[in-house]
Amino acid sequence: MAAENTPVNESKKTNPIKDFFGNLFKPKERVSADAGEKNNWKAWLYLAPTIILLSVFTFYPLVNTIFIAFLKNYDYVTQSHEGFTFDNFGVVLGLLGKGVGGAMIPRWQCIGFESEGALGYYLDAAGQQQNAYFTMDVIRYAFPNTLIITFITVPVSIIIALLISIGLNSIPAFQKMFQTIFFIPYVTNAIAVGMVFAVLFDYKGIINYLFQLGNLTWIDQGAPTWRAMIALCVYIVWHSLPYKILIFLSGLQNIDKQYYDAAKIDSAGGFKTMMNVTVPLLSPQILYIMITSFIGAFKEYTSVVGLFGKSSTDGGGTNNLYTVVYYIYDQVKGNVQYGAAAAVLLFIVILIFTAIQFKVSKKRVHY
Amino acid sequence: MAYDNRNFIQKLFKMPTREEKQAAREATPEYQAINTAGMTLTIKDRAKNADQLAKAQKIGRILFLVLVYAFLAFMAVIVLFPFYWMIITSLKSTTEIRALQQTFFPTNVLWSNYITVFNSFDFGTYVGNTLVVGIISTLGTLLTTIFSAFAFARLNFKGREALFGILLATMMIPGEMMVITNYITVSRLPWYEFGVGVVDGWLQYKDAVFASMIVPFWVSVFYIYLLRQNFKQIPNELYLAAKVDGKSDWQYLWKVMVPLASPTLISIFILKLMGTWNSYVWPNLVTTNNEEWRLVTNALRGSFTNSSGEPQYGIQMAATILVTTPLLLLFIFFRKYIMRGVGRAGIKG
Amino acid sequence: MEIRIKDLTKIFPGNPKKGIPDTHAVDKLNITIPDGQLVGLLGPSGCGKSTTLYMVSGLLEPTDGEIWFGDEDVTDLEPEKRGIGLVFQNYALYPHMTVYKNVAFPLTNLRLEEPVLGPDGKQRLDVDGKPEYKKRKLTKDEIDKIVRETARIVQIEPYLERKPSQLSGGQQQRVAIARALVKKPKVLLLDEPLSNLDARLRLQTREEIRHIQQSTGITTIFVTHDQEEAMSISDKIVVMKLGIKQQEGVPQDVYNDPCNKFVANFLGTPPINLFKGRIVDHKVYVGDDCVRVITPEEVENAAKLGRDLSDQEVTVGIRPEGIVIGGTEPDHFHFKVERILTMGRDIMLVSDHGEKLSDTKFVIDAFTKVSVGEVACSVKPHKCFAFSLADGEPRLI
Repeated sequence: MAAENTPVNESKKTNPIKDFFGNLFKPKERVSADAGEKNNWKAWLYLAPTIILLSVFTFYPLVNTIFIAFLKNYDYVTQSHEGFTFDNFGVVLGLLGKGVGGAMIPRWQCIGFESEGALGYYLDAAGQQQNAYFTMDVIRYAFPNTLIITFITVPVSIIIALLISIGLNSIPAFQKMFQTIFFIPYVTNAIAVGMVFAVLFDYKGIINYLFQLGNLTWIDQGAPTWRAMIALCVYIVWHSLPYKILIFLSGLQNIDKQYYDAAKIDSAGGFKTMMNVTVPLLSPQILYIMITSFIGAFKEYTSVVGLFGKSSTDGGGTNNLYTVVYYIYDQVKGNVQYGAAAAVLLFIVILIFTAIQFKVSKKRVHY
Repeated sequence: MAYDNRNFIQKLFKMPTREEKQAAREATPEYQAINTAGMTLTIKDRAKNADQLAKAQKIGRILFLVLVYAFLAFMAVIVLFPFYWMIITSLKSTTEIRALQQTFFPTNVLWSNYITVFNSFDFGTYVGNTLVVGIISTLGTLLTTIFSAFAFARLNFKGREALFGILLATMMIPGEMMVITNYITVSRLPWYEFGVGVVDGWLQYKDAVFASMIVPFWVSVFYIYLLRQNFKQIPNELYLAAKVDGKSDWQYLWKVMVPLASPTLISIFILKLMGTWNSYVWPNLVTTNNEEWRLVTNALRGSFTNSSGEPQYGIQMAATILVTTPLLLLFIFFRKYIMRGVGRAGIKG
Repeated sequence: MEIRIKDLTKIFPGNPKKGIPDTHAVDKLNITIPDGQLVGLLGPSGCGKSTTLYMVSGLLEPTDGEIWFGDEDVTDLEPEKRGIGLVFQNYALYPHMTVYKNVAFPLTNLRLEEPVLGPDGKQRLDVDGKPEYKKRKLTKDEIDKIVRETARIVQIEPYLERKPSQLSGGQQQRVAIARALVKKPKVLLLDEPLSNLDARLRLQTREEIRHIQQSTGITTIFVTHDQEEAMSISDKIVVMKLGIKQQEGVPQDVYNDPCNKFVANFLGTPPINLFKGRIVDHKVYVGDDCVRVITPEEVENAAKLGRDLSDQEVTVGIRPEGIVIGGTEPDHFHFKVERILTMGRDIMLVSDHGEKLSDTKFVIDAFTKVSVGEVACSVKPHKCFAFSLADGEPRLI
């Protein structure tokens, strides 16, 4: 296989993955001194466009979004608010509901619920029964959906990508052709291909026809959430394979052939070699892919829009495949403070997951 | 002498150390009864003679290859099938698409779907918008990337590594954190119109909307990282030689480093262009005031449903092909650059 | 187990389009390695010795020829099925496994063969009347015991829980040997096992290898480019050049009786001194000095071997230790001493000679009195050879 279309040659010298994480977590690591003399002001001049743009569009928004997440009744047009509060997180998580006159009613003060918990009854100071409205989108739909998407698509796509990469790495001919084919989904538009999958999964579509499923609904209005979820996961896996295959294959091609020779001498069979030599030696790439695809799955949005269109998810109150990010985007032009609170929660969850994965795989990754 | 390798939980519960466990194991009569000297070790499937084994493994090897090829071919079909279906659906009539008996090739090839797309969907405008936004934001990105990568790779300044670490760390922040505030920023900025004075928010004006689709994406930390790695591989001697020749840093950057890193720059250019072509969320937010200013992807989704809300799949797929084909053409011509660029970074944002 | 290599040939195909010819890495090699012996495959880099070893291991497929282990033709057998031990040049220890797991890994792939006992307590016979065996996996305890015993032999017990990257080169090398030995192979192959070690460790380790080989009695092939290493531990050496076997035999015999100029030059440190010379009337001359007289028995012997001792131009080789200064015999050979290097037991004379074809160095007893300048000496006849200028430069005397 010609190496020109893969990063094999470069990564022999520098492992981008190792380097990436090395830099990320050890920013103080000294890079060997260069020949350039100390020229502070010049360097800052070169960096000025980047720093200015980053400040305006990255650092300021980061701080500001966290700030907004703690504002009460924030109006982004007038920028007015009514002080600081933790309520936004409660609202996003469905713990706080809006009662009469905008009063925040905790869930545990309600004496009864309706509409899957979105409507609660509470007694006001006068002992009158009043309605409290809760936001259940996140806790009931977005959060579970996001978790299901993450924990199905990430392992499935990693395993399939690993199998394909190992298969590609062990064939004597047509490797380049297959590699190109497997890469094609990467260069497609998530929305466009999502629409193609919508055609495939149409109740009168080819999937039902091929598998003789009758007029089973997958993505149309009224389809059960679990079936819509299957269609969505199939699409996400399909769309996320190419990148994984590319990274795995270049990792595989970087493994010293001598370890395979050693495994042969040690009389290890094919499967055993794969589990004991190939996979452990590929562990840096697997870790990298795991982290990036976990983060990616947490932020799934365009695939939902592509597959379902905007109308079929939030229309009709079904919200069947709402994701966390979907919720955030829905709030951008409305209840910004709730969107900000959800974004902060997402950020925290992603950070925790990344940290856990690092901790867990520290023992498993051998470099 | 024995190094205690237990972690704190194991210490807390006074679990035995490895040495203690080993000693206990060796003390068992079963362990001591093992006679290693008298053992005969053989391979798993040692048949009667080598000839049979050789034949068996030849068959096994062929069988293995057949299986691998079958698996890869099967997966390739799965990967390619949506494209095939997209093409043939675009050539079918709605009745045929919705027919009970699905056809793997259209019974009568219908080009009218494409005509309908061009008539009802202002493809040219959207592609024009996308190209303007894509090219300006790509050129801007290339400039900021080259400058920053040069500073990080070649110049010495205080806090260089710390700043680079901060930049890399921003990649871990989900973009959703930024979208909220950035939307507020662009929608609240007043747009100054000459002659009229300060008027409404940005998003009322085409130039402003385009600017807000371009300027926030002029910096990509990932590409800075990518190019810095590339710059760092250029040997120091070249820099010293250029200094001896009296070249300034500026000349060295444009005369030596940029040409040497041109493959990476081409990768960045193409990937960034593809990124704009595929971008959906942000353009969707800022173009709500006027559909004419949208980019292709936004325009694509949500179009082509008939009055009753039934999607017209044939026309949809024709439009989808029009959006997908430029990407595939780019891939065909720049496969090397795209795969190398993606292999080292991945499209970000 | 006896290893027989018959007409073994390996051709790496070239590229006719780019004008790269085929490479004959090994050409019709025949070697028989008796059971329990240690054989050194010796030659400069590119001589095909490693290729030969890899073909014996099964990692390379021979173009032609056969490899026999005992009475079995294993030529077409995959390496997994050959049950051999191989120590790689850079050890190829699995970087993600501890030393213990590295050594235990082969054992997890092997089966233990046990006799099947009948009700009478004797081994049962199968339908063909042969003793019946059953196979089973090794238990964890069995693996543990074998690993620890092997670790004891190669002295890596303290490092069992470490990763290979935490070990020194010498320790890694011993782990590699342990991994090869642990499965009790009938054949052990060593590919330049000492080349990554420093000089002192090399001496020590080669003694250990010899010791382990002798105590286990494993038939061993040892590949090296270092002639001193090969000569010091091998029962037999095979000298190769460009894929062709030059000579094989007991190290001292090969040293004393090289078959051609290449072998004579390759064996011995410092290497043999070569001069332009000629045979005239059954006397060997370098310049005007007669360095050796060919005896009638030698003439008779040479005739039997088909060697031509008629008057001709030759290359004369004199071993560094082959001169006696101030001997009782009449002085025959003159050369110029340029520098004297004291080496303790010996002294080395870095010398010059008008007819020299290589650096001229002689080693003499430290008590010999010698000074810089013209020196005369006698040459020990058995340390002095003459090589034909014909193809292959075979030895004449």
